[in-house]
Amino acid sequence: MNVLKMEVLESDFGPDVAIWRIEGELDASSIKAINQHFNKILEGSRFHAIAEMSKVTHISSAAVGELMGCRQMLAERGGDLVFVGLNLDLKTKLNHLGAIKIFKFHNDLRTAINQYAWETHLKPEKVWLSFPSELNLVPPVRQLVSQIARQKGYGERDSFRIETIVDEVCNNAVEHGIPDKLRDIELFLKIDRKKIEIEVVNLSDPKKLNSLKAISKSILGTNEKKLERGRGLSLIKMLSNDLAIDFSGKGTTVHVTKLRED
Amino acid sequence: MESQIELEYEDIKGWTSAKMVRFIGDLDATNVETVLERICTLFKDGFINIVADFSKLRYVNSTGLGILLHFSKSAKEKGGSFKIANVNENVYEIIEIIGATSLLEIYDDVNEAVAALK
Repeated sequence: MNVLKMEVLESDFGPDVAIWRIEGELDASSIKAINQHFNKILEGSRFHAIAEMSKVTHISSAAVGELMGCRQMLAERGGDLVFVGLNLDLKTKLNHLGAIKIFKFHNDLRTAINQYAWETHLKPEKVWLSFPSELNLVPPVRQLVSQIARQKGYGERDSFRIETIVDEVCNNAVEHGIPDKLRDIELFLKIDRKKIEIEVVNLSDPKKLNSLKAISKSILGTNEKKLERGRGLSLIKMLSNDLAIDFSGKGTTVHVTKLRED
Repeated sequence: MESQIELEYEDIKGWTSAKMVRFIGDLDATNVETVLERICTLFKDGFINIVADFSKLRYVNSTGLGILLHFSKSAKEKGGSFKIANVNENVYEIIEIIGATSLLEIYDDVNEAVAALK
């Protein structure tokens, strides 16, 4: 028999987060200990509890019921109780008890904290990638960004729009850029729960720069005459919430902000 | 590496100058030339009426849309038509934003598009 051990730890990740380390067997006899430790969490006004359970060997339905009650109290205060590190057998058992619909499960503490920061403090995830200025590389890049958006909980419609924006910006970067072995096209992403920011930087071809400026001036300005060229830029403008193009410096920087809608 | 696009052809009963073309995959800057070549071959072979079934076309960008507008114009110049059916919501939105809904002949389904052939 594995003796139950519990402790509530201070967290470096914010005053409203508690790490609740649990080891051993959780059964009906553990309910008193659960309540005592949970009260410590509440007393500290820490409404986001992360239960670290990688050394838990057994959970009875009575203990699950008690933890559901704890989670409910935190949820009423705008918080949550999530589980970290549960082994597969226990996850399966909780699934059978229907707890999988109530609790969020994370494999490790870092993922749980990142998720907390993402949901609570709108902490953005950042991605940087660079690729050679070749048209054939644009489809995998646009699909990667779309998949990132999907993984971060954006809906199918938003992810499709993001895919289109990345496609059009990168195609323009390839078309108007100078193929340069020393400098690839760079793409910066900043995604949080409410918006995604996309920035694409390339070296502009001086020969094409004037026509590019004319197209972007027409589309970004009030003079929105229909152009055979510049459909892509027009599309980006319509699909995004903010579009800025900077020709200063050696290259062209396109910055797009798209708010989450679905 | 091009984006994946496949074109499947089907005859249309009662029409010698028409073909149904099913677009499968993504239509973008990496494969417009292939698609252009294949549709132009159909035009050259006398199939001046094309019904494009988009039920399996997942994605189109501005370059792809440009080529669709070109097909529509070319077919009309030859006395035929380029009709599109079964457009998914995402693709339709792109067509709409570009302002091409009035330039392309779009139908809910293939039967409706075939019925509109003259």
